[in-house]
This record gives sequence, structure tokens and C-alpha cells, in this order.
Amino acid sequence: MGPIEGLLYGFSVALTPTNLLACFIGVLIGTIVGVLPGIGPIGAMALLLPSTFALSPATALIMLAGIYYGSMYGGSTTSILVNVPGEVASVITAIDGYQMARRGRAGAALAVSAVGSFVAGTLGVLGLILFATLLAEVALRFGPPEFFALTVFGLAVLSRLSGGPLVKSLLMVGLGLALGSVGMEPISGVSRFTFGSIQLSQGIELVPVAMGLFGIAEILTLAESRGGLPRAMAVRLRELLPTREEWRRSAGPIGRGSVLGFLVGLIPGPAAVLSTFLSYSVERRLSKRPQEFGQGAIEGVAGPEAANNGASVGAFVPLLALGIPFAPATAVLLGALVIHGIQPGPLLMTERPEVFWGIAASMYIGNAILLILNLPLIGLFVSVLRLPQHLLLSLVVLLCLVGTYSVNNSLLDLWVLVGMGFLGYLFRKLGFEPAVVVLALVLGPMMEKTFRQTLFMARGDWGAILLRPLTLALLLAGALIFVLPGLHRALRRALARRAPAPPV
Amino acid sequence: MSRFPRAVALAFLAGSALYLVQATRLPLGSVEQPGAGLFPILVGAFLLAVSAAHLLQDLRRSSGTQPLPPAGTGRRVMGVVAALGAFCLLLPWLGYAVAALGLLLAILRLFGLARWEMSAAVALVATVASYYLFAVVLGVPLPAGVWSR
Repeated sequence: MGPIEGLLYGFSVALTPTNLLACFIGVLIGTIVGVLPGIGPIGAMALLLPSTFALSPATALIMLAGIYYGSMYGGSTTSILVNVPGEVASVITAIDGYQMARRGRAGAALAVSAVGSFVAGTLGVLGLILFATLLAEVALRFGPPEFFALTVFGLAVLSRLSGGPLVKSLLMVGLGLALGSVGMEPISGVSRFTFGSIQLSQGIELVPVAMGLFGIAEILTLAESRGGLPRAMAVRLRELLPTREEWRRSAGPIGRGSVLGFLVGLIPGPAAVLSTFLSYSVERRLSKRPQEFGQGAIEGVAGPEAANNGASVGAFVPLLALGIPFAPATAVLLGALVIHGIQPGPLLMTERPEVFWGIAASMYIGNAILLILNLPLIGLFVSVLRLPQHLLLSLVVLLCLVGTYSVNNSLLDLWVLVGMGFLGYLFRKLGFEPAVVVLALVLGPMMEKTFRQTLFMARGDWGAILLRPLTLALLLAGALIFVLPGLHRALRRALARRAPAPPV
Repeated sequence: MSRFPRAVALAFLAGSALYLVQATRLPLGSVEQPGAGLFPILVGAFLLAVSAAHLLQDLRRSSGTQPLPPAGTGRRVMGVVAALGAFCLLLPWLGYAVAALGLLLAILRLFGLARWEMSAAVALVATVASYYLFAVVLGVPLPAGVWSR
């Protein structure tokens, strides 16, 4: 199917009433979790995963994808209005966004970030279609060694980029891989690490792990802080229009942020977060008025906000073209594909076109809905922040518990949820990145399967396997990431010198 | 407080060792026909090496001080964890409705909703609403507990 034909087909899927509703619900929930500090898109996606069982795969994926990119819109709202990022990907937006709000330009900042997000989101879909179709075609020729090398490469890059000390990220990789190896092993049917438990032989599921690390752990962290949700300043509708000068200054950053974000999204790791840092430093360097950055420069809002949306779309490329998630959020989406019985991989586009093209087309619709939700209706979402915290928390706890239980009706999953929640809380306190665990848990079984297939293919002849060009290149690239940590550190230091810490 | 990261580092080391020992008991297979044990052994060895490196780093940094959380917050966190554990433990006996009501009461109190009547009202409404949503609308078979017998 060509891109135009495919997109038309995609719209015929995405515009059915069920899928339109799914898209609307997805982006609505995404906006709300984006606005609320503490509850992120990964937790929300894991939370809703069980409730999509009854839906068709395309509908489920359209809704879950909507939560992901929708949260990128919502996150900026809280950053600008209350200087508390609703999402990690909006930390940078708070720097200049809040300063703009203090000078009475909150409306302009909100409008520019919504429009920037929209431009990046819709341009990103074009990139997604282009890159994913090309990549899937190439990937059809991949064998187990290439897929194995990709998983190694993905985890290597992730452990390097996720921030914090390398040893800590590697520990999280190991923990995720170990958790992924629990249960009945698919090739020979041997039960591993089950200690005789029949429930454990089904393996440790993604949903309780992700919900524990991102839902329950957040609640425990909030239990510690005890502060209420912050008060937001009111924005009137007519204040939303940026001046012509503000538009002119935003156009460049939005364009650059969109492209930059999309490209960063293709790389394994917390792409949305990284892309905002990168875009901010690029805009600062290009600006004729770098001294304004940190004081309310509109470029510092427009660029990063476009970038995080571009990145969230870019992250779909490896997921849909290779069947390999490179980011924690797309790992949850992969979990959704598998639960719905879809074999992820380069054949997805040809075998389940309704899923691929349906998601791509729904992103256009979703972004259009988000633009409406986030501009005229902004006040509605800000009022979500007025909900009493204890009420919100008890609702999230109940949703986590019942949501997890409903997947397998398993008490064991509940224990995993609570255990992971407590671990996630500890990890956060000690500077470990729990997102790495989620990704390793999903990539682990894939890694083992392709590793064993590779060994089987080699039959002792290692040269033939290692000399496959792409395998070699990916493994070398993965190794290089560890050999050149000094370079990375120097780069980070240079970036840190340029980007000031957000004002507290 | 610097003892706390140390304990976590030691727990990682012990866990990795246990995992590796368990992994060596699985069938290893041959290089051409790898068995179920090969990958876990590699993962275990990796975990053990990284845990050891992590512990070493922590030992070297032993003078470092971890900021203490304000007094009383640890108790609240442990309270929520205990309430969640109790919920899992009692769910098969008490059933969803009673267990959720108890859990919500505990959490609302822990989060500082001062008045008992208010907590009870919120917990009751949330329990009924969630039961209706999950059990009635979405058809999740929630445990009924000993009451149904």
C-alpha cells in the first residue's frame, strides 16, 4: 500500500464512530494526566490497558497512543501556569513558560505550545509513515542476529541516556531482564524461578510492573510530600492570542523542534525528555537574544514543546516498523499489541494494515482534537488541579488495584503491583530510573529468543553471524556507547553549562 | 542514612547471587542447542557483576550523606504500603467491597483527611462507584469473599 492510499485507508479506519470515540477518550485522558503532576502517561496507559481487552486491536492502540501524545500537550499547561511540570518532558517548558505567565503572557505561551505541539504532531505523522514504511521493508530481510543486535543496542543506549550513574541503569536493565525470565520458558517449556508456583509459571506481567513502578510508586512519593496540588492562575480566552511578533519568533523554533524531536524519537531512550533539552539549547544558541532565555523567551517554550511531540511520534517508528520498543511508553504499547494477539514486527504493516494506518491517521484526528481541548477548553483542565488530592489519590489506588486484578484475576499480580510500587518508591529516592526496568522486562524475552535462534543458526560458526554487516554495526555501536563515556560526559557538561537549572 | 543505600546495594548483590544459583540448576544445553538455562545464567552473571560494582561504588562513597526525609513521612509511606499489603492479604476473605472500603479509609486518614465522618463518606462513595464501574459495567469478576458462601 502506498502512503496516500494507506493514509486514506487509515482514515476510513480511524473515522468509524468507535475509533473516533477511542481517539477522543485517549487524548482526553492524556491531557488530564499531562496536566496532573505525579501521574504520567506510562502509568495511565498501563492502567487502561486491561480495559481495552474487549476492544479491537486497532481501537485499543488508537486510544492508548492518544494517551501518550495527548500527555505531551497537557504537560505544558501545568508547567506554564504553576511552574510545576505535569510531565518530565515539560520540565524545560517551565523555565520560560512560567516567566511568560508571570509577565501576563500565559495565554500566549499556552497557545504557542499547543500550536507547536500540533505542528510537530502532524508533521511527525508524515515522518512516521515515510520512515516506518522504509524501515519495515529493510527489516523484512532481518534475521534473528539483527533483531538480537537491535535489542542489545536499544538497552545499551537506554542505560546510557536515561540519566544517573551508569551502574544504576545497568542494575535496572539486569533487574528487568531477570524479571522477564521468570515463568514457563517458551521453547522447551521449562519452568524457571517459579518455585513450584503455577501462577508464577505464567511469568511476571508488564501491567502490574508498570503500574506499580509508575502508579503506586507515585502515590507513595506523594504520601511523603503531603503538599496539596498547586494553585493555577486563571487565563481568559481573549488572552490566548499571541501577538504577531510572538508568532514570528515562534515559527522557527517550532519547525526546528518538530524535526529535531522526531529524529531524537527514533533513538532508544527517554526521547521526549532529551529532545526538549536539545531543542532548548539549540534555540538558545541560534537566538539573537540569548540573554532573554530564562526570563520568558517564547522560543524556549515553542521549540521544546514542538520537540517533545515530535519525539513522541518518532518513537512509534521502531515500534511499528521493527516491533521493538525503544522507549518505556512504546514498551507498554507493545504489551498492548501482544495482548491483542498481534505479532509485532516488520510484517505488521502488511498483515494488520488497519492497525498501522489506523494509528497513523488517528494521530491527525487526535492532534486536531487536542488543539481544541488545549486552547478554548484550557480552563476546564486547569480546574482538574483543584480536585482534593486525597480524593484523586484514593481513586488512582483503586484503579491500579482493580485494573491489575482484572487482567488475569490473579492475586499474585496484586502482590507484584504492591511490591513493585514499594521498589519504585525506593528506586526513585536512591536515584535509580524505573523506566529502564519496564523496557528491559519487555525486551528481555525478545532478546533471549533471538539470542538462542542466533546460536542455533551459527552452529559454532561465529564468524558468519558476526560478519553480517548490520549485526556487526549495531553491536559495535552498542559497545561504543560504553567505550566512549568520557565523550558523553564532556558533552553533558557542555550542555549543562548552557542550559540553566529551572528556577525553583 | 548512608546505611540505607548500602543495604539496598547488599540486597541487590544477594538477590543476584540467588538468581544465578537458581539459574545454574536449569538445563544448560549445548552451544548449538542452547537450553532454558543459558540466558538466565548470562543475565545472572551480568547482574552479579553490576551489583558488585555498585556496592564497591557505594563503599568508596561511604562518607557521603543522603538527605534525611522529614520525620514522620517515612511512617506515612510505610502506612500506605502496609494498607496495600493488608488489602491483598484480606481480599480473598473479605471480598472487594469490604477490603476496598478499609483500604480507602486507611489511605484517606494517612493522607490527612482529618474528620472520620468525611473519610468514611468519601471511602463509601468511592467503593460503591468503583464496584459499580468494574463489577457491573465492565464485568470484572471481583472476589466476593466469605459473605457469598
